[in-house]
Amino acid sequence: MAYIAPKDFSQDEGLIQEVMRVMGGDLDLSWMKDHPHPIAARPRQAERGLTLDDINDDPFYGPDAIPEIVRHNFSMAPRGAILPEGLPSLGYRVNRKSDVWADSAAALFEESKSRRWAPARDIAWDALDTTSLSPDEDRAIHQICTGLISIHLVAADVPSRWVWLMNQEFHEIKYWLCAQMFDTSRLAEAFRKRALYGHGSLGKDSRELGELLKIVIDSESYPLASASMNLALFSLVQGLGRHYEYLASNPADTTLGTRLVQDTTRSIAYGVDHIASLVRARPVEAEVINEHLDLVDNGVIGFLGSRELLEPLILLSGGFEPVAALYRRTTAEYFERCAAAGLGARAERSPLPGFLELLGDEETR
Amino acid sequence: MSLPFPSLAFFRALQQRTKEDAAVFEKLGVCDTTFGIRVGDELYRIAFEIYECTEVDECDGPGSLDFVLSAPTALWNEMFAAIVANGGADAAHTINSLTHLGDVMKVEYEDPEGHDRLYRFMATIQAFLDEARHLDVEFD
Repeated sequence: MAYIAPKDFSQDEGLIQEVMRVMGGDLDLSWMKDHPHPIAARPRQAERGLTLDDINDDPFYGPDAIPEIVRHNFSMAPRGAILPEGLPSLGYRVNRKSDVWADSAAALFEESKSRRWAPARDIAWDALDTTSLSPDEDRAIHQICTGLISIHLVAADVPSRWVWLMNQEFHEIKYWLCAQMFDTSRLAEAFRKRALYGHGSLGKDSRELGELLKIVIDSESYPLASASMNLALFSLVQGLGRHYEYLASNPADTTLGTRLVQDTTRSIAYGVDHIASLVRARPVEAEVINEHLDLVDNGVIGFLGSRELLEPLILLSGGFEPVAALYRRTTAEYFERCAAAGLGARAERSPLPGFLELLGDEETR
Repeated sequence: MSLPFPSLAFFRALQQRTKEDAAVFEKLGVCDTTFGIRVGDELYRIAFEIYECTEVDECDGPGSLDFVLSAPTALWNEMFAAIVANGGADAAHTINSLTHLGDVMKVEYEDPEGHDRLYRFMATIQAFLDEARHLDVEFD
């Protein structure tokens, strides 16, 4: 059902009379007179160009002007614009700055665009024609790719569930979420192309991966969604990307692994900064996030233990120990990021260490 | 004239190469990190800003470095020899492969955000090291 504007503009006598007056040369020009705060934004570094941080270096237009709780603007009006009476509310539901804000988001948005790449031409696809992979290894890579495609399709959905609910005052965060959607869409595209190149195929999706992704996408608030995707899920994906590159035997897979790591880590950087800012502003949120991450970590264990992930990793890695080492390192780095985000020692409450203990280490198995 | 490795002259030659291959680094995108390369007991400070390698110097300690790539001289020799021989790192000698499992090459860091800059900018850092393919290197 469409929104119905409160006025029928096509039949509005007042509007039509105004138009006639303007056409007759009776100009008001009030919009031209109202310049409450002109600034002179310039690039601080010519090579970088004019960045969002350059135009934000101002107490009126910059993010310092945003109150912790936005109550003055629920419309489409951009931050710093003059707000006339009667602007419609667009129904934004995420109106608290600390729920979304990270000082690094504007720079990460610029970085995302600057470090863009195009799977169609930036991957040496023909290198796959002469690869030395056995048919089983080839199938294992297709299986890994299938999981990565699913992850990135959902990782594109997650920001899309929140971006339209966020107040326009947080436009840098909204831009960043759009960049995240593009980054994750590109990764889904790239690994789909990898799976299907030549005589390719997709593999079998995983129920356990589905459960993990459902926990992430069904997060009840944006901070919970951000923590579960940017900290937990993407720490795992970054580890998989590093392992994918490590296992690569050709330039195409090397580049795919490197780009997967690069693009994923930008989101991790936002996640750490976002949650750290939130916990600084509202320390009570740390426990709420930790409780949610307990559930997410349980989902991570499901995926790490799923045959659809574990078996192809073992096959490609030449045994179980490299996979266990990957799991241990990825988990340790995830916990480090959580600590940096102000969430404390997650190793003391997460179910992940218990799972890793079951895997044992080289000496004890 | 051949450049001794390890040496400041070697890393400054890599820096110079990034200017000559500026288009490659611009295509990879902005890279903002200051990191260290520890070769045996020697530590070199490498700074990237926007598209350029802006600083290469010797360094006393990790201080404000985002991360330090640390390995014995023999491993760096092997890595750069592979880069020279193959026209760039082969799969076994990329920075990711060497740092991923088993701590063949160690990544030292204090702050996870600094550590993650290795991953965000790995393609640029690899391209920087791959510039050794253009150099005549005399290994220690």
